[in-house]
Amino acid sequence: MSIRHLWAVIRKELQHILRDRGTFLLVLVTPTLVLLLMTYSLAVEIQHVPIALLDYDQSATSREFIYQITAGDDLDLYQNAASMEEVEDLLIKGKIKAAIIIGPEFSSDLLAMRGLSLQIIIDGTEPETGGFAVDHIGWRAEAFANEVLAEQILASGISLDSLEPIDLRIRSWYNPSLEPRVDIVPGLLSIVLGFPAFSVALTLAREHEHSTMEQLLATPISRIELLLGKMIPYILAGLVNVIVIPIIAMAWFNVPFNGNFIEFLLLSTLFLFAELSMGMIIGVFMKSQSAALALSFLVVLFPGFFLTGIFFPIAALPEMARMESMFLPGTHYAIITRGVFLPGIGIDTLWPYAIMLVILGLAFTGTAALFFKKKLA
Amino acid sequence: MFRRILALVKKEFLHLKGDWWLPAFMLFGGALELLAIGWATSRPITNLPMMIWDMDRTAASRDLVISLENTGVFAMTEPAESMETIQDQMDRGEINAAVIIPHGFANEIDTIGGEPVLQVILNGAESIPAREALRAVEGVVRSLDEEITIDHLGVNPDLFKGFDFSLRVWFNEALNEAYYTTPAELALMLEFTILIFAALTFSREREFGTLEQLLVMPFSSIEIIIGKSIPVILVGLFDFTLMLGVVHFAFHVPVRGSIFLLFGLAFMYTLVELGKGMAISVFSKSQHQAFLLVFMVGMIDFLFTGYAAPVESMPKAIQYLAYLVPAHHWLSIMRGITLKGSTIIDILPNILFLLGLGVVIGFFSLRYIRKALD
Repeated sequence: MSIRHLWAVIRKELQHILRDRGTFLLVLVTPTLVLLLMTYSLAVEIQHVPIALLDYDQSATSREFIYQITAGDDLDLYQNAASMEEVEDLLIKGKIKAAIIIGPEFSSDLLAMRGLSLQIIIDGTEPETGGFAVDHIGWRAEAFANEVLAEQILASGISLDSLEPIDLRIRSWYNPSLEPRVDIVPGLLSIVLGFPAFSVALTLAREHEHSTMEQLLATPISRIELLLGKMIPYILAGLVNVIVIPIIAMAWFNVPFNGNFIEFLLLSTLFLFAELSMGMIIGVFMKSQSAALALSFLVVLFPGFFLTGIFFPIAALPEMARMESMFLPGTHYAIITRGVFLPGIGIDTLWPYAIMLVILGLAFTGTAALFFKKKLA
Repeated sequence: MFRRILALVKKEFLHLKGDWWLPAFMLFGGALELLAIGWATSRPITNLPMMIWDMDRTAASRDLVISLENTGVFAMTEPAESMETIQDQMDRGEINAAVIIPHGFANEIDTIGGEPVLQVILNGAESIPAREALRAVEGVVRSLDEEITIDHLGVNPDLFKGFDFSLRVWFNEALNEAYYTTPAELALMLEFTILIFAALTFSREREFGTLEQLLVMPFSSIEIIIGKSIPVILVGLFDFTLMLGVVHFAFHVPVRGSIFLLFGLAFMYTLVELGKGMAISVFSKSQHQAFLLVFMVGMIDFLFTGYAAPVESMPKAIQYLAYLVPAHHWLSIMRGITLKGSTIIDILPNILFLLGLGVVIGFFSLRYIRKALD
């Protein structure tokens, strides 16, 4: 391999990128921009869940209960329903996510300590929101019942504390209030930094599509030089994002960055190498840019979302999918980014994942080079 | 006019014949991906690695560990002997939660008025599993609380069960995850397929310099647009049918409403996205640029669909913006017709919005494309 040859290919590729300003800008800003957008929408804390109430009791107690249920920001009273049909209609139209039905015996049952005559209905098409509503209604109902019953309970010689004897001390490390954005920003890095891989796949496929690949191969440039030369400009574009994103994460989203930045840069380079090598395999096999893009979506983008443990924990995946996730560079990089950002660990602990990235990168590049040779021979 | 359009449609399909990868992806990729991802992730969160540090080592502490295991949410790792082990494993991200049972836990439980302490440490670096773990631990502790209280006070067990309420889940009685995720994933894949294919239409001709050739032929711009549209619509509807089959037969998601209505609206949605994709296609100088734009637009749409996070919880301004995203209405329609059995009246607002957006997008795309072509 000669540096001069490599540089020639890099220069050619840079000219392609720079000549078309629109594309250049898109390649450079897409990762950061998508990360910003996704963080905003994914880190939404569920609140203002619209609910309906159907009060068959119509007593002072039930009205007080309703008042307490809707006092916070978590649940919004959309409508006081008059009948079950109305509740049903609201649920079907998607106007409400949950409904609380207060039975006619609500206050009498409660005061006689016979339990809560309460029914909660949730919209099962959005279980996340529904579950949230159930939890919050449940807590409020329990607190309300305790309050109403406090006098009676005290009179019977039981202290309120003894209703919950276990002192549960919960601590959440690295992210004390379990705010989603704190771990979503580092997690998303492994997705958005994969975007340059699409571009690598596309530029290789473009040479096939325009039949310029033969011309390139007629030059004294070796195949591996050609592949690396195609990849390096996009690794650089990715690295710009590696530098910009932690700054945005800290300044804009208040996500801590506790690790060593230089080590992070190094580990990110390894990831870009492995991830972009995947793009290279695609580019070598696909003869048109459109096919290359479609395949990139299928094997890079969607698995990146669902199988790298960012949103769905890897431990909960079925065996086969867990094995597949080990072959995705994003899986290892997600562990690295979370580790560097939050607990602030370094290469001394993260080296096994770094080695995995190197192995994957070499294996992918090797495969690409091998088939590249065969296909054109 | 029809013969000329037919000729154009034929030409589009000829392109596809040369490279069989693309039609293979376009036709079957979405359905296969849906099958794979639906299979992998449409399940409750289980198996979260949890570490126990049991300093008490009594029957009561072992019972607690068994109760935690029985939730099915956790997989117990090697028990810890010190805080350092927990710290180390947590830092590495090897465990999602740790439970520390201090000395005297059983003693405190047995004494009336005692205060058994239980310490739980969650790995906040993965907030989704951490929340799931928290929910499961709280559930176990709550029922233990109840047992202890009843035991201590020697009261009638019915008395303290009094705070439970009855819960019913509509449209998805068994809380099947696939019901929730697969229709949304279908909507996402359909959008990307149509957008990519539509974005190809003109950007490819322009990149190869064949657009001029096409323009000097005796086709009017409307004929060119229609000829380019028909293959996209056909592929879109084929994909939709196949993916709906996957969702219904592989994941048992019911179609409770009218399937004709669903197909009719799918057709309408295809047209709307087609308009968007073609506008991108004319705007872009190269395929590379067109794809990057499709990608951005698709991602932005995805955020507003309500799949990732409920739209109701977003800031008001964003909620209004969501009304302008066709995919948002399409997802409501999909969920409505399949799971809720919505009739045309129930989802009328979504249909009207989709129609309105279609007219606006169609009008501007058409004008823009014609201007660019003429």
